[in-house]
Amino acid sequence: MRLILCSNSMADEVEQQPSTNTVEEPLDLIRLSLDERIYVKMRNDRELRGRLHAYDQHLNMILGDVEETVTTVEIDDETYEELYKSTKRNIPMLFVRGDGVVLVAPPLRVG
Amino acid sequence: MDPVDVQGQSQGEVCSSLRERSISENSLVALLQGMQGHVTTVELRDEGWAQGRLQNVDAFMNLRMRDVLYRGHNMGHTSKLQDLFITGRNIRFVHIPDHMDVLQTIQTQLQRIHRVRTFNREGGVGGRREYCPKKK
Repeated sequence: MRLILCSNSMADEVEQQPSTNTVEEPLDLIRLSLDERIYVKMRNDRELRGRLHAYDQHLNMILGDVEETVTTVEIDDETYEELYKSTKRNIPMLFVRGDGVVLVAPPLRVG
Repeated sequence: MDPVDVQGQSQGEVCSSLRERSISENSLVALLQGMQGHVTTVELRDEGWAQGRLQNVDAFMNLRMRDVLYRGHNMGHTSKLQDLFITGRNIRFVHIPDHMDVLQTIQTQLQRIHRVRTFNREGGVGGRREYCPKKK
């Protein structure tokens, strides 16, 4: 499988890409999201929201304008209530290793 | 005395293993290889991070870094290390410097790999056939 890339302004194919526009395999669905904002759920209760610039067959990705959310659960000692905390952080351009990725989706719409 | 680098590659050099070249050529590791020589922050799977100059990246994303500020997951403080090796599996993120053109870096790295493949190809006899030519 060839590298699939897009520049910041428009989707350009860099490598010899099988020139098919049909969706044949699940990874093709990700190809449809190139240069769009996406939501990535990762292991260890992490989520990323960013613009997908590139990906490969391992789901290594390059995301731009990323917001990372780390969610932790604290349990109150006395009441045993679960308190969900999330920490956010912004990174301009990030390379994500594919083995941490759980799912890729369009950004979630609330409500 | 500095130990002799087994993989002492400067920025322009490509790994001499055919297998690794093929792997790099077909994945985004090529971007990280193009970033050799730049200072970046690598975040690890175990919540630690390392900030330093990427000296070498192989096809499996194993990294060697120099002049590193490293914080392990359970350390409250950072340590300065001259040399650090990180296994590819332990990487979670790599921060890409703002000034870097992603597309250009990947294309340059792919060109370097292709140049190795086609080296001496024109000579005919000395050419290295790494893949079968297309049959007409």
